[in-house]
Amino acid sequence: MKNIYKPILPLTCFILVSCGGVPEEKSETTSIENAFSVEEVLEMVSKENDVTRTLYTKAIVGKGKKQGMKFDEDWRKDDVEAGPLPALFLRGVATSIRKNPVPLGLYLGSDFPVNAANKFEGKQADLFKQIKEDQKPQFFYDEEQKLHTAMFADLASAGACVSCHNEHPQTTKSDWKLGDVMGATTWQYPKDSLTYKETIAVLNSYAKGTVDIYMEYLDEIKAFKESEKPEIGKKWPAEGNYLPTAEVFLDSVKKLASYETMKHLVATK
Amino acid sequence: MFKVSPLRKRQFLGGVIGVILGASIFYILTLNSTEAYISIGPMNTGHQDLSCFSCHADAKGNLLQQVQSNISHTFGARDKSVDFGTKDVTVDNCLQCHDRANDRHPTYRFSEPRFKKAVKHIDATTCITCHTEHQEERVSVASINYCVNCHQDLEVENDPLDISHKNLIVKEEWFTCIQCHDFHGNHKYDVPKKLSDTIPMKFIQNYFEGGADPYGTNKKYTALSQEVWLKTLDK
Repeated sequence: MKNIYKPILPLTCFILVSCGGVPEEKSETTSIENAFSVEEVLEMVSKENDVTRTLYTKAIVGKGKKQGMKFDEDWRKDDVEAGPLPALFLRGVATSIRKNPVPLGLYLGSDFPVNAANKFEGKQADLFKQIKEDQKPQFFYDEEQKLHTAMFADLASAGACVSCHNEHPQTTKSDWKLGDVMGATTWQYPKDSLTYKETIAVLNSYAKGTVDIYMEYLDEIKAFKESEKPEIGKKWPAEGNYLPTAEVFLDSVKKLASYETMKHLVATK
Repeated sequence: MFKVSPLRKRQFLGGVIGVILGASIFYILTLNSTEAYISIGPMNTGHQDLSCFSCHADAKGNLLQQVQSNISHTFGARDKSVDFGTKDVTVDNCLQCHDRANDRHPTYRFSEPRFKKAVKHIDATTCITCHTEHQEERVSVASINYCVNCHQDLEVENDPLDISHKNLIVKEEWFTCIQCHDFHGNHKYDVPKKLSDTIPMKFIQNYFEGGADPYGTNKKYTALSQEVWLKTLDK
């Protein structure tokens, strides 16, 4: 009987070692060289965001309003037949990004927001003062959240931004001018550098966010009961009561943003 | 085969019974029909029909692999430890059924640095702060004055309420918010214009404890059932 105990320990060790353990994630085991710093990636995705927002604000909201299309902050309400205002479009993109496995965070804030909950506080408020002065991005590492954070100026790039905010019943500032720094986007990512693959994943997650919120808008239009529905296809509101499909919209974003993004992606390190 | 010493017969028998009993308990308690016995408490309102696996997904690898990996991690031979038995339940598990586009207070929004102070008082980045599971209730938040953390500067243009929002804030009557506004904004109902017509607190309390919905049954979004959720996984 005594002999039975002797092999138990080595046998247990042998079984444990031979089972191999839980396979590690690929990214943990393969030492792919990190291609970009988090600052570079957030700058890239922020530029994509600038192009997307400007296109949506000018070509969809601005031109659409001239065709009689409506855009409202309560656009999701059942009794409101309208599309999302640019700030809510960005909120929609941010929501979609959070549903992705990519750990990217996107938020919009200001020192004079329409919604009081979007007012910058603490470090963000201090950095935003600097952004208003020089319009340059600000980067910091949030120790508590353990997240690399970047803030980029959000400019009044279209007449629609200025007029909507100045005339809004809950506005806290009514003298916005074209070109003003109306707010800032805040971006967060947990790692200080990203592989090429991770960088593409960040860019893709933003593009997917754009498509998701735009598709939600098109779905909303399908449910319109009283308002005239714009024709959805290849044409834009500038040509009449039309709206581009999500693919057409994204294609335009890519055409406008691709040069800047590609420049970063293919640059020899 | 090995011989059992007559002096060790009782220990041997005890060992065999122990192994058989252990294996039987392990087998019985891992059956779907015995889930209630290993649950740490009754499910919250609306979750009664869920199986354990809805939230507690099996961790990667088998038990031996998990033991080996965690021992390796303890001795520094592996960078990260691994989940043992089941994966940790996170907000993502909740959102697989409860996520919707028009949530008034989605958890992700509170990850932003500007909510840091508020999150110290109430961690709205995670569902379980207010909806602790296995409590047989709906809302488990300690105090219902949580709106105070973000809405102190609220100003309502053309305030429709007979006692203004500003007045209520000055008086610090934060418990009145919930008598009109459900936190996630998931109900379609007419908000009263008189404070006296708002939902009495005892109905709210009853709702939190798992009772009838005082905001009405007309909801904007209904969470996925386990059956529908399973179908989404197949896609």
